[in-house]
Amino acid sequence: MSQDLEVVGLGRIPYTEALELQRRLAKERIEKRRKNDLLLLVEHPPVVTLGRGFRPEHLSTPQALLQARGIEVHEIERGGDVTFHGPGQLVGYPIFDLTEHRTDLHWFLRQLEQALIVALEEFGIEAGRREGYTGVWVLDRKIASIGIHVRQWVTWHGFALNVTTDLSYFDLIVPCGIPGVRMTSIQKELEEKAPRDLWARTLESVVLGFAQVFGQRPQMVPLEEVAEAIT
Amino acid sequence: MATKVLMEALSPTMEEGRVVEWLKAEGETVKAGDVLAEVETDKAVMELQARADGVLRKILAPAGSTVPVGDLVAVIAGPDEDISALLEQRRPATRSQEPAARTQPRAPETKVTPAPAPPAAVTGGQPERADRIKASPLARRLARERGLDLALISGSGPGGRIVKRDLERIEAARPAIPAAIPAAAYRDVPLTQMRKTIARRLVESLGPVPHFFLTVEVDMERAWDAREALNALGEEPRISINDIILKVVATALTRHPECNAWWQGDHIRYFNEVHLGMAVAIEDGLITPVLRNAERKSLREIALEARDLAERARARKLKPEEYTGSTFSVSNLGMLGIDEFTAVINPPEAGIIAVGAVTQQPVVHNGSVTVRRRMRLTMSCDHRVIDGATGARFLQTVKRMLENPLALVW
Repeated sequence: MSQDLEVVGLGRIPYTEALELQRRLAKERIEKRRKNDLLLLVEHPPVVTLGRGFRPEHLSTPQALLQARGIEVHEIERGGDVTFHGPGQLVGYPIFDLTEHRTDLHWFLRQLEQALIVALEEFGIEAGRREGYTGVWVLDRKIASIGIHVRQWVTWHGFALNVTTDLSYFDLIVPCGIPGVRMTSIQKELEEKAPRDLWARTLESVVLGFAQVFGQRPQMVPLEEVAEAIT
Repeated sequence: MATKVLMEALSPTMEEGRVVEWLKAEGETVKAGDVLAEVETDKAVMELQARADGVLRKILAPAGSTVPVGDLVAVIAGPDEDISALLEQRRPATRSQEPAARTQPRAPETKVTPAPAPPAAVTGGQPERADRIKASPLARRLARERGLDLALISGSGPGGRIVKRDLERIEAARPAIPAAIPAAAYRDVPLTQMRKTIARRLVESLGPVPHFFLTVEVDMERAWDAREALNALGEEPRISINDIILKVVATALTRHPECNAWWQGDHIRYFNEVHLGMAVAIEDGLITPVLRNAERKSLREIALEARDLAERARARKLKPEEYTGSTFSVSNLGMLGIDEFTAVINPPEAGIIAVGAVTQQPVVHNGSVTVRRRMRLTMSCDHRVIDGATGARFLQTVKRMLENPLALVW
C-alpha cells in the first residue's frame, strides 16, 4: 500500500485546469510513474458539472442563463448526476491506486464518506450516510457530494465539501439529481460557533480524516512538484 | 478465438452495473486494453477494457441498460468467426446459477429475495423455456404472484411436475434459507456505541492506530525436534522454524477469528479465511506478501509458497494482489539475531506477531535448571478491535501449539 499520501493544495483554480491535472496525474499513477496516492485540494470559481448519470431535467436553469451569470457548465466522466462547485467549497480529488488498497469501488466511496465524517467530527458536527444516497449528510441535509471515475483501478474526481459555500447557487440545479434535497455547509451548521480560521481548519481535518481512514501518512507536497502544466 | 466481455464486479457488494456509454461500436476493431465502455455503480464510473484483440462483434447490453455482474455484455472475436454458440449459451447460465451465487456474500443480512429472474416469457431470450418446465397452471400463477422462479423449484407431482404444494413448501422454508447458504468469506459487525467511544478515545490518546503489545516466551524444543525429524526425511522443501510459525498462526486464527479482522472505521470485518501477511525485508524497505487461505494449506505447501513469495518479493516481481488483502501478519527478525521486538500493525489489520530468534536459555524445567531452546513472540494489537484478554487467549493458543506441534494435525 502507498504509505504516504501526497497532499497538494492548488488554491483557487478553474475547473478545467484541475481536471487536466487530475487526468495527467492519474495517467502517471496508472503507469506506475508515481508511487504514492495523491489528494488534490482545491476551490473552484462557480461551475456546474454534469456527471455520467446526468438527466437534463436536473438542470433547472438553462445553460445559457447559467453562463450569463458567470457560471461555467462542463460535462465530465465522473459518476453521479449534476453538481455545483464554487467559492467556499473544499473540493478534493483523490488519485488513488485501488489495487494497493482494495479493488472495490463501493468500499472506496464509503471510505471517502468516512474520511469526511471523521473530519466533520472535529467541529462537533455529527454527519453520516444515507442508504442509497452516496455523499455525506447531516440528518437530511447534504453537506458533501461524491463522484469518482476509475481507470485500471486508479481513481480521479472525488468530493465537494461545503465549508462557507453560498448555498443559493444550488437552487439553480437539482443537486445530485435528488429532487427536494436540502444542502448545508459547515458554516451553516455551526453558525456563530464557527471558528474564524474555518477554511484552514477544514483543510487540516480533511487531511487528517484521510490519513486515519486510509492508514496513510500525509505529506504536504508543493504545487510545483506535480503541476508544471499549470501556468 | 472469441472472448466474452462480462459485466465486471467493481465491488464485492456490486450486484449489477449500468452501462453508461459504449466508446466502441459493433464491427469496430479493438485491441487489448482499449476502453470499450463505461460502467457505473453507485457514484463511481469505471472503464471496461478489452481483454483481447479482435473485432467488437456484438453488444448485448446497450447504453443505459443495467446488467447483473458476470453477465455477457459483448463479444470480441475474429471478423468472420462464428459466435452464435456463445450468444446462445448465455441465458441459462446467467439465470439459474449466478443470481444465487451473487447474493451469497450478503446473505446474513438480507432477507430471502425472491429469485430475481423475471418470468421467462418476457426476457425475450428463450421464450419457450418456461413452457418446458412442467407445472400446473395454479403453480404457475402462484409462482408469478410470489416472484418465485419455477426453474429453481423441483416438482413433486407426476413426472416431476411442479404443483401448488411445492410452492407452499418453498414459502414455508423461506426463513430457513439464509442459514443454509454457505458462510460468506467474512462478516461485518456494526460498532456498538461503546466500541465507537473506546475507538475515538484511544485514537485521540495514541495516534491513528492504538497499539498495545503482548509478549510470550515459547519453549521451542519440540518444534525444533519436529522440524529436524521432518527435514531428516530428505524431502523438499526443507521446513524452517518460520514455516512452522506461519502454519501455527494461521491455524490459531481459525480458532480465534476475533483476531482475524479489519478495522473499518464504522464497523469491524471478521474474516472466515486467513490471508496471512509475511513481512519480508527487501533492499530499501519492506513488503508483506500474502499467503492466501493459509488456514487450508499444509506445512509443506506453506513452506513452498513462503519461499516463492519471499524470493519474488526480493526480486520485486510480486503482483499487487500478492501483497494486498492480508487479514493478519507475521514479522520475523529472528534470523537477524533479534531476540524480541514490536512490529507495527499494517492497517486495516488488527494485529501482527513479531518473532524473535530461537536461543538456548537456562530455564527451570521439571524442577531443575536445564538449557532449552526458547523464542519470544510479541503481538501488536489494535485496541479498537482486540482487547487485552482476547489477544492473550489467541497468543496462548499459538504458544500451546508451538510447544505441542502435534496440535497441528490433531
